[in-house]
Amino acid sequence: MTFSFRIQLFAVTQVILTAFLTYFFVTNEYRDLSEQNVTALESFLLEQKQQELKNYTAIAKASIQHIYAGAAADDPVAQKQVADILSTLIYNGHDGYFFVYDDKGTNIVLPTEPYRVGQNYWDLRNEQGDPIIQILIDKAKSGGDFYRYPWNQPSTETVTEKLSFSDFLPKWGWMMGTGVYLDNVNQQLVTIQSAIDTHINNTRFIILFVAMSSIFVIFGIGAILHFTQKKENDKQIDQLGQKIVTLQEEEQRHISRELHDGIVQVLVSIKYSLEATCKHLGKHDIPKPQPLQQAQTNLSNAITEIRRISHHLHPRILDELGLSAAMEALAKEFTERTNIDVTITKPALSKLLPDHINTTLYRVVQEALMNIEKHAQATHTSIDLAIIDNWLTLTIKDNGVGMLKANLENPSESGIGTRNLAERVEYHRGQFMLTSSSKGTVMTAKIPRSAFAYHYTQQQIDNPTTETV
Amino acid sequence: MNIPSIKVMLVDDHPMVQDGLSACLSFYDDIQIVGTCNDGSQALSTAQACQPDVILMDISMPTLNGLDATEIITEVLTDTKILIFSMHESAEFVTNAVQSGASGYILKDTNSEEVYQAIKSVAQGKAYFSSSIAKMLIDNPPTQASPRLTAREQMILSYIAKGQSSKAIAQTLDISFRTVEAHRRNIKSKLNIDSLAELVRYAVNQGLVDS
Repeated sequence: MTFSFRIQLFAVTQVILTAFLTYFFVTNEYRDLSEQNVTALESFLLEQKQQELKNYTAIAKASIQHIYAGAAADDPVAQKQVADILSTLIYNGHDGYFFVYDDKGTNIVLPTEPYRVGQNYWDLRNEQGDPIIQILIDKAKSGGDFYRYPWNQPSTETVTEKLSFSDFLPKWGWMMGTGVYLDNVNQQLVTIQSAIDTHINNTRFIILFVAMSSIFVIFGIGAILHFTQKKENDKQIDQLGQKIVTLQEEEQRHISRELHDGIVQVLVSIKYSLEATCKHLGKHDIPKPQPLQQAQTNLSNAITEIRRISHHLHPRILDELGLSAAMEALAKEFTERTNIDVTITKPALSKLLPDHINTTLYRVVQEALMNIEKHAQATHTSIDLAIIDNWLTLTIKDNGVGMLKANLENPSESGIGTRNLAERVEYHRGQFMLTSSSKGTVMTAKIPRSAFAYHYTQQQIDNPTTETV
Repeated sequence: MNIPSIKVMLVDDHPMVQDGLSACLSFYDDIQIVGTCNDGSQALSTAQACQPDVILMDISMPTLNGLDATEIITEVLTDTKILIFSMHESAEFVTNAVQSGASGYILKDTNSEEVYQAIKSVAQGKAYFSSSIAKMLIDNPPTQASPRLTAREQMILSYIAKGQSSKAIAQTLDISFRTVEAHRRNIKSKLNIDSLAELVRYAVNQGLVDS
């Protein structure tokens, strides 16, 4: 696991943790707050309803006052009148009405269900077993109070929670009450609760969104950083690779030169010394001894062998005569070996290129010719070297059957591979192209003139002796 | 034995080779080693001092190679014949040598008898090539499809491109004005260029001089 990946993982974990904690606390806070709000609202609404009920009761009492005040304790006419008035007091559609029971639980007024009038409900109980009418009567007797219980709601024909206020008419022993159904209060509370839930959901979504986008951003930036870093690394590796190749070529060139201009020359001098010895012996009429003959033969073989090795390491002609001449030599050798024709076009000038570019282009020609020999089945090849429009362009063409890229890209046992060649050419700010079809293969290497334009002039400055000779 | 001996000068950066060859040639009475030097850049002054008939010239040398030195010497010392004496065995070297004005080309592993013969031939105004070289020239006759400037011509072109007059170039290179002019004509005809402006443009385009 790379360092940058670890940092990314750490950051993502951090984001997830933060998001989770934020979500947890915000949701909790929100819920607490909403519960408090809902409770407060509920009690406010209930208070409002209670006030309302008290007011209704006060109005009702006022509307029967003129009869009740002057009536006797047992006055059926007045009682009938009062019952009639209370039956007509309807509010809130059909849901707001007054009911009256006597202190024995017998119904006297119930406008929504008149058939219950005269029946006794003393023992009417709710699901919890509370005697509803008894409780209402007790609360009325104790000076008037509120009571919540389930009751049939006329407008919906369903049993709903009802809040009633009961008061007492002591002269007749009547419990008079009225109530409101709490369904719309509950409805309001549910609406508010769901609005709050929606808010919580939104918050949750926002936190999730922020967290996710943070994670994406972290990964995105990480990926970009990783990519640019990789690109940078690749570039450095390429450069290092080319540096190694350049050093290797330099080393080979050096050894080749040491062999050719050093050791071989020493051997040549020995050869002439041996010849001089022979001549000396001849002068004194002494026959040439066999070992001396052997030494001369062996020496010649040694010279040939070392020259071969030197040439293989680095062709000296490239340094002495330049790329054009080295290409010609390569082509001649190629034609002799393969019988494939080579035509060469080259500039009239020579030694324009610095050694490393020279060597690179020479290796391009070498690789191209080797590929042609191995894969192309060509009968003709052309090598063109020209400086046109600020570019030195080297083109090697054949009329063969084309080659598979895969065969060319990777180094063969004797070659260096076109991919490596391309890297070497690009190292000199150049371009490398390879196109192959059934009509033949074209390999092109281009080097910008700016990469070598200084070279010839610089050489003249570096070698002032050439000017004074 | 009144035949005038041939004055020979050796140019080779390896004293040991010079010594070995001198030892061999000393057995021939009609050859006289009049001078030696170790680098192409000293060859002209040494030759001017000892006026050799034949110079045995190596190619690979530190500061100025034998081919360039050959061109410079033949410019000045028209009577001196140059015989290339090199380890390089490839047609391009031979072609270049001939273009530079060499009269012959022998390989360094040639035996001294043949070296002697070569010196004599060249001194008599003939051309001489080692047998392997001669065979190579016959098998692959030098093609002159695209004319090539010699090193000297290329150097003079670079001076021209830098704006120097023939007179100034003659002074710089310590050669005659007429030689420079001759080079100039050769350059123009080889490149098929008429005007000075075109010469300069050509030199810049080819990257010979820094634009």
